[in-house]
Amino acid sequence: MELPIQLSKDSREPIYFQIEEQIKALIASGQLSAGTLLPSIRSLSKDLEVSIITTRRVYQNLEQQGFVRSTQGKGSFVAEIEEGLKQEVKVATVRLAFETAIETAFRHDYSTKQVEKIFSDLIKDYEDKGKGQ
Amino acid sequence: MDYAVTMSNVHKKVDEFQLESIDLKIEKGTISALIGKNGSGKSTLLKMVINLMKTDSGDIRLLGQFVLGDDESWKMHVAYLPQKPPMIVPFTGYEMKNLISQWYPTWDEPLFRKIVSLFGIDLSRKYSKLSPGAQQQLNLALVIARNAQVLILDEPTAHLDIPSKQILNDLLVEWMEKEDRTIILATHQVEEIRKLADYLVVLKDGRIFGQFEKEELIEMYKRYWFSQPLDFPAVPGEQERGEGSLTTNLPNEAEEYLRNENIDWTNVQTLELNEILAILLAK
Repeated sequence: MELPIQLSKDSREPIYFQIEEQIKALIASGQLSAGTLLPSIRSLSKDLEVSIITTRRVYQNLEQQGFVRSTQGKGSFVAEIEEGLKQEVKVATVRLAFETAIETAFRHDYSTKQVEKIFSDLIKDYEDKGKGQ
Repeated sequence: MDYAVTMSNVHKKVDEFQLESIDLKIEKGTISALIGKNGSGKSTLLKMVINLMKTDSGDIRLLGQFVLGDDESWKMHVAYLPQKPPMIVPFTGYEMKNLISQWYPTWDEPLFRKIVSLFGIDLSRKYSKLSPGAQQQLNLALVIARNAQVLILDEPTAHLDIPSKQILNDLLVEWMEKEDRTIILATHQVEEIRKLADYLVVLKDGRIFGQFEKEELIEMYKRYWFSQPLDFPAVPGEQERGEGSLTTNLPNEAEEYLRNENIDWTNVQTLELNEILAILLAK
């Protein structure tokens, strides 16, 4: 199974962290349901073109935080997680996306006011297209 | 830490060329890509690991066992694919398989058949009548199916077409699923390094220039873009300077320097692995 993970090498977030956050988001959103067998460390490493040192770290962290449980010889499975944890991940995922956008804007010398304007313009566009809820 | 291969203070002189003070530790369960320019001694180094070439001095161990000693039982645990077949082979694929499979108790016949069918190898033909690509496919099938704990491959994708390269990558990934297997491969193929390697061992001017974890190496190199002309002296770690951009392998120090000098950069980028390797090997 291939996971829909997109890595940005230019992001300030380290690669292991990006993988970890995206797998959490897939679990929290229900795209990966409890009991799903995750790819092996070696095959995820190949798909994402990262070393097994990175992937191993991701799986260890996910296990520690209760998102994944590993069975010796069988592999890593998505764990049953609480609603509260799901919510936390959703909030964190959205916040991270905004943070990245804000960082990009500041790097291009935008002021806080200008960032707010871009944001409200974009929201308005979405609402006009009927995508907003 | 458990090591598949260790080399300490190994020296080797071949004609005009020499390998000096080679210190290397290859962790079990990992894939290491040995990288270097043509003639940098990659093949020599691999041959020394399996004692096909004697070292002048130094200590080499395979799975903890001294390869120069009288006890050669370590040979059962290592499979080696040379860059060039060592001799003219007068056999068909079947005959070669029969010869090789009987020597090794770990021979995996179903795996061999699977590789033969994935590559579409015709075992009934004489080895010498096969194309270079088909010869390489057969060599790979014979070496992988031995199921040795340590697999040493010298330019495994030489002569392989694009689909075959992909088949090989998938095969090697699957082969590594079993516990405690280790691969060391000498390669010039960036795609192979991207998909397979955990560590990159860089050989340069007869020495180990560095052993890097893949992401660690990628995160080390950054390119900065500027809207103003670059009329300042070299920044820390500067590797390259182009029109409006410069590349460094000490991004933190370089950023600090630029901030102190009040020089603003407009953008910063990570380099592609092939660019990093070109810089590493060229200098």
